[in-house]
Amino acid sequence: MDVSELIAALPEDDSSSTVSAAWAQERLRGILADIAQRPVPAGSLHRLWTLSELSTQIALAYLALWVRRWFTDAEAGKRRLMETNLRMALKTFHRLGYLRGAMTKLGQAAGNLPGILPNQVAETLDRLHCEAPPMHYPLIREVVRNEFGKEADEVFLSFEKEAFAAASLGQVHRARLKSGEPVAVKIQYPGIARTIDADFRNLSALVLPLRLGKAWESQKAQFEEIRRMLNQEVDYLQEAESQRLAGELFRPEDGIVVPRVHREYSGKRVLTTDYVEGLHLADYLATNPTQASRNAFGTKIYVAWIRMYFAFMTHGDPHPGNYLFHSDGRLSLIDFGCVQHYGPEERELVRLAEKMAFEDRALTREVVQRACGLVANDPEIEDYVHMMEESCDWMMEPVRQPGAFDFGDGAHFQRGVEWFSRVLRKGQVRAHPMYVYWNRSVFGFKALLFRLRAQVDVHAVLRQERRR
Amino acid sequence: MRITAEAKSATRQRVLQAAMNLFVSDGWQHTTTRGIAVAAGIATGTLFNYFPTKEAIAAALMAEALERAYEEFHSNCSGENSLEADLFSLIWSGLRSLRQLRKCLGPASDTIFSPLARHSPDSPGDALRVNHLELVETVLTSHGFPAPRPAVTMQLYWTLYLGVFAYWAADDSPGQEDTLALLDQSLLLFVASLSLDQGRGTNGRQ
Repeated sequence: MDVSELIAALPEDDSSSTVSAAWAQERLRGILADIAQRPVPAGSLHRLWTLSELSTQIALAYLALWVRRWFTDAEAGKRRLMETNLRMALKTFHRLGYLRGAMTKLGQAAGNLPGILPNQVAETLDRLHCEAPPMHYPLIREVVRNEFGKEADEVFLSFEKEAFAAASLGQVHRARLKSGEPVAVKIQYPGIARTIDADFRNLSALVLPLRLGKAWESQKAQFEEIRRMLNQEVDYLQEAESQRLAGELFRPEDGIVVPRVHREYSGKRVLTTDYVEGLHLADYLATNPTQASRNAFGTKIYVAWIRMYFAFMTHGDPHPGNYLFHSDGRLSLIDFGCVQHYGPEERELVRLAEKMAFEDRALTREVVQRACGLVANDPEIEDYVHMMEESCDWMMEPVRQPGAFDFGDGAHFQRGVEWFSRVLRKGQVRAHPMYVYWNRSVFGFKALLFRLRAQVDVHAVLRQERRR
Repeated sequence: MRITAEAKSATRQRVLQAAMNLFVSDGWQHTTTRGIAVAAGIATGTLFNYFPTKEAIAAALMAEALERAYEEFHSNCSGENSLEADLFSLIWSGLRSLRQLRKCLGPASDTIFSPLARHSPDSPGDALRVNHLELVETVLTSHGFPAPRPAVTMQLYWTLYLGVFAYWAADDSPGQEDTLALLDQSLLLFVASLSLDQGRGTNGRQ
């Protein structure tokens, strides 16, 4: 797939079409085509390139969507500066074989927004969630040896050499503990974790100048948050802790399963959990499930999300690859690498925003000041208040409707995408860093419910969850 | 006569053991042939009957460790792995066997693997190189890449190998995980080049 084709397939700018928009698109296409002409090693480099190249291309296209809008409004001089920075940023993206973790994450975020990317791209990315390129067993053996000082077949009763699933930063193998229990062992590709900081330093030096302006400080903090979360994501011991905390929230009667972590078989680069068997979203949908089944799973997805939220945790990466659908109606949550834990400041902010949404709209101005870091007399405050009201309206749509809300209604999802696009186009990007993953989480789980075509009685779920 | 051969062998082993201890404790730069001879309980002049240089001692230590590692590689070779996986096992089992000497081998390999010394009969590294490349040839053949190979193929392999070796010798990442990644990706590159060669034949570019 050629990058320029992807760019061409992206939706047009929804503001009135202008000559400069066409110019920007053409320039962008030229730059990308230029970069794409770099000789790419042949098929045997499959393992190295399938993931990094595809996800990089998708990520580029995703990036281009936003950038195209900035191009549209920029003055010529600034435009040239942007173009230079963009060119360098894109070249860097293209070279970053090691940043495949971060790139994949970006790619996944893009793939989970079906309103923005063409369906086939979203589907390709879906497969990417489950089919990251493999590490061969001799390499796996060394990672295990580094972690435990022993061979995999000494640590475990048995260890399958072939991976049964891929994780964005590694792959997952079936194994049995000495007790005979079946487990899933997630192994991380060596060296990735240590490159994130260095890659981010390069990336931020190139990308941040694209958006010089009032939002500069805020964006630096947001970028730092992404770096922090990626570092968290590559530390499987932190993931183990998030998984343990999440697991404590659910009981068997909820029908929501969080596989148990086996800490003595886990380390920073190896994570061992109970093995659970189920279908991924695409496979589940292929069974042509009834509406009742979709609704039941949709409700569980919503319950899982909101219960973690009430426990001050947000799953920042609720893409389809992280859910397993069981034939008995249970839902498994299988990846806790990207969980945001709210500290005192975030908790206070979350409570205030909740009060605004459910009880007192007059608090909007205060929420804006605290969530977006604006002072009372900021010239942009009215715009931000309006943005916050729109966001709140969209978030509350499913809550305000009595009875089941149809998340399969594309119009609801599209309104959210349009709101987000407007926010970016207007450059209203001053926000507390927690909102980087909050937005991703909200769009992620709503995209999931949209693809599931689920109808969920949000009102009833909230009533039940708030009583807990 | 038999006793002399045994005594020679025993002395040689004493020298190697003494050198190993000193390389590990004092490092490459601070270990001298005189120091090795003293630690082995022989005269410096006698040591030179066994090894002409410090590099030759290091090369002999490497050869012994690598021989054991390659035996282990052969016994574990199931014939089920991919070419990349087999080459990875071959190289990594070798590097693992040299772990104790890792810090010394960086500076030592400057001389041992010097490309200019390759064809000299005194080059302590030449036997290591030839032995290693023969093993690689065997692995390639077992994976359906029959000889003769374009000369550039083995040169590319050896260049990549030396790059990985040098990186490993100075790699301070935990468990040398950065070298693991570098080796994996270097082998991808090498195997890709083999496929390209096969695809276009051996007669030149197309």
